[in-house]
Amino acid sequence: MKNLKKLLCGALSLSMILALAACGSGSTTEESGDAQQASGDVPVIGICQYGQHGSLDNCREGFLQGLEQAGLVEGTDYTIDYQNASFDDNMAIQIAQAFSAEDAALMVGIATPAATACYAAAEDKDIPVIFTAITDPVGAKLDSGNITGTSDVLPVEGQLKLIRALQPDAETIGIIYTTSESNSIYSVGVYEELAADYGFTIEAIGVTAQSEVTQAVDTLLAKNVDCLSNLTDNNVVGVLGSILEKTNEAGIPVYGSEIEQVKLGCVAGAGLDYVQLGIQTGLMAAQVLTGEKTCQDLPYEIIENYALYVNSTALAELGLTLPDDLAETAEEVGA
Amino acid sequence: MLDLIVSTLTQGFIYALLSFGVYITYSVLDFPDLSVDGTFPLGAAVTAVLLLKGMNPWLTLVCAALAGAVAGLCTGLIHVKLGVRDLLAGIITMTALSSVNLLIAGSNLTVERAVDTIFTSAPVMAVLGGLTLSGRKLVVSLVLVVVVKLVLDLYFRTKSGLLLRAVGDNGTLVTTLAQNKGNMKILGVVLANALVALCGGVLCQEQRSYSAVMGIGQVVFGLATVIIGVSLIRFFVGSRAAQGMRKIPLLRFLASPKGTTAVLLGSVLYKFCIQIAINAGLPANMLKFITAVLFLLVLVIAGRRGEEIIHA
Amino acid sequence: MLEIKNLTKTYNPGTVTELKLFDGLDLTVPDGQFISIVGSNGSGKTSLLNIICGSIPLDGGDVLVDGKSIRKQKDFQRYASIGRVYQNPALGTCPNLTMLENLSLADNKGKRFGLSQGVNRKRVDFYRSELAGLGLGLEDKLDIKMGALSGGQRQAVALLMATLTPLKFLILDEHTAALDPKTAETIMVLTGKVVKEKGLTAMMVTHNLRYALEYGDRLLMLDRGKIVVDRAGEEKTRMTTEEILQVFGQLSMQ
Repeated sequence: MKNLKKLLCGALSLSMILALAACGSGSTTEESGDAQQASGDVPVIGICQYGQHGSLDNCREGFLQGLEQAGLVEGTDYTIDYQNASFDDNMAIQIAQAFSAEDAALMVGIATPAATACYAAAEDKDIPVIFTAITDPVGAKLDSGNITGTSDVLPVEGQLKLIRALQPDAETIGIIYTTSESNSIYSVGVYEELAADYGFTIEAIGVTAQSEVTQAVDTLLAKNVDCLSNLTDNNVVGVLGSILEKTNEAGIPVYGSEIEQVKLGCVAGAGLDYVQLGIQTGLMAAQVLTGEKTCQDLPYEIIENYALYVNSTALAELGLTLPDDLAETAEEVGA
Repeated sequence: MLDLIVSTLTQGFIYALLSFGVYITYSVLDFPDLSVDGTFPLGAAVTAVLLLKGMNPWLTLVCAALAGAVAGLCTGLIHVKLGVRDLLAGIITMTALSSVNLLIAGSNLTVERAVDTIFTSAPVMAVLGGLTLSGRKLVVSLVLVVVVKLVLDLYFRTKSGLLLRAVGDNGTLVTTLAQNKGNMKILGVVLANALVALCGGVLCQEQRSYSAVMGIGQVVFGLATVIIGVSLIRFFVGSRAAQGMRKIPLLRFLASPKGTTAVLLGSVLYKFCIQIAINAGLPANMLKFITAVLFLLVLVIAGRRGEEIIHA
Repeated sequence: MLEIKNLTKTYNPGTVTELKLFDGLDLTVPDGQFISIVGSNGSGKTSLLNIICGSIPLDGGDVLVDGKSIRKQKDFQRYASIGRVYQNPALGTCPNLTMLENLSLADNKGKRFGLSQGVNRKRVDFYRSELAGLGLGLEDKLDIKMGALSGGQRQAVALLMATLTPLKFLILDEHTAALDPKTAETIMVLTGKVVKEKGLTAMMVTHNLRYALEYGDRLLMLDRGKIVVDRAGEEKTRMTTEEILQVFGQLSMQ
């Protein structure tokens, strides 16, 4: 036992030394970064992504494309310092502070916690912050100051049109959302605002955890909703499989809000293309980086275009048919 | 590099307030209190709402601490008066608080830059106006954490503080001293959660934001800092260096550091480790795993001793 | 004076493990008496002490101190006038506090535990002289943590702590059982000394028949919740170990 402890002691000190060495190397690259900065060479763009997630990854990909489309070249016009916070608010804070410490020219926050962390860290040096994948920048109070970006507000209107086209007689749309997700709460609000224009009423049920979602489905089915419409709520999307099992049995269609959800078996969906959203963000960032515009000049943007995705297999199972005009524009993503 | 050290130290100091709270429950009282995950955002929620209402930023912190104390009182009463096990009592409070927090401040709240915080309020600017914001954040959080630490150290030396330590050390003895150990437990949990909520409030002012999910994992962080800090100090106290220092009158006080010092050190070290990992470009998805392994190593090496208190 | 009247206690009532321990036990302990209690395992010795101290509830009957019932008092309230030393030396002191802090706690028993200085430096000399009285050389170790001391040393300090402030009863619950014979002897000598010096009323449970005979002025033997031997004064002085063993033998034959 004593030997084991000695071994562990050694392993621990070794890992500490490695960590310190890593710190040393980290600081040297940083110093060289400072040196470049000082000689006016290449500005650093710090990207803090809240966590690894399909949509957020697409946002980042698009963002980099957007910078290129604006005519900027990596290595000469900018360098990227990309960090991922693995969905940990505290790590997002420290990442943002590291960007500020290396005098980044621009900080990019992907998703709300990353954006607020960047904005807090940027305050001292007044570094501009660009955000994306935030549904409600006004509610998050990120719509003024040295910060701008793009909102990933859902194309609710498009979704309502789509549902009306597929289910002309439908009256009630069921929605499940997480009560601690500000994005979801905001989206539900948008649904409730617009539903009447298309002759729908909304039956929304809030949950606090993923485990409550399937119960919420039962409740909605008991209330005789005509269909379910998904938000980009992670708790709900995470158990989409078991939701579909229940709704298929009841013969009720579920509409998705992203391509992935339709692939998994939702009948159709009006969804955001996060790559497009990222490109739009990248174009804005390029303007700020080159000094052409400031964040104050650029109000936050929402994406105008949305895509229609359909899953013919799922449609056929529920006996629904896609009107011809939609069939032309919709993208088939079913198996 | 200096900027990074300043901001990391600031995080370490602010979070040490939470670690003090966890130290009181876990280490001093031997009470595994899970309410922390709820009282941390509670402090932030109260602070954010009151700041936006225009309250003095220092006063909002007092309110945050009071809110945390009330939450702690609930955990304490549920455990002591209703006889629910300590772990479950904490879980009950934490669960209830997640709704309370949403009621108070919703799921997210941002405090605009126009609103004054403790780092930008007039008295602080009068003294530290020459510093950058990061500099002020460092000084203010350092002063705050040192004041809290000294007050705690003083408290632990009072009769009440001595009795609180005795409750965690040997509850039977406290009863034979004709004292109600249940009441002391409640007092400890109240104190601890007031500190945790205070930490949430300070972080809310530093980050200018509150989120309903910001409490996730804070108990684990607190435990890690307490155990790492206490284990390292224990290692130091047993070392030759400390033995040598004890012989020199001027250095003697350094040779046997207090538990609160250990915890403060643990919190700063933890934040530096994370910062080093980020800077070294370790894959983010592996970061938690690496943290877990390091944590396990410290625990195994320190053995059960890590759970003991050090109060020289 | 302590009186136990018509005490009844049943463990696990209504289950297959139901055990009726006390069924109408009466006992009166006059002030200043030192009682040794012997009996085989499960005879109810420790249960009796626990019921007096309020650690376990009684089913029926009453416990009176100076004529007043203490039945409704919680354990910690009863300890205001009771001192207790346990079998396990670890239960009598706080291992992570220093000896000085431990003694300060005990010294403050019966007073308020407020925000005044926990350790009263003015009392250090008094603690030193009390520790010197134990004769174990502990008087120079005030700043050492209790956990660093041996079981015997801890038990000696626990005994000192239990009797530091004025008290009505001293409860000794097999307090030498976990110690080696030599240390046990030391602790017993100390116990006899402190009970005599302070004129305490004491109840000592022990498995050591020699101690039971040597110390105290009354001897009780318990068997299945009943007092089977009760000798005091002259009668007790004349008792021998053989005599007790004989009773033990008869009981186990039944």
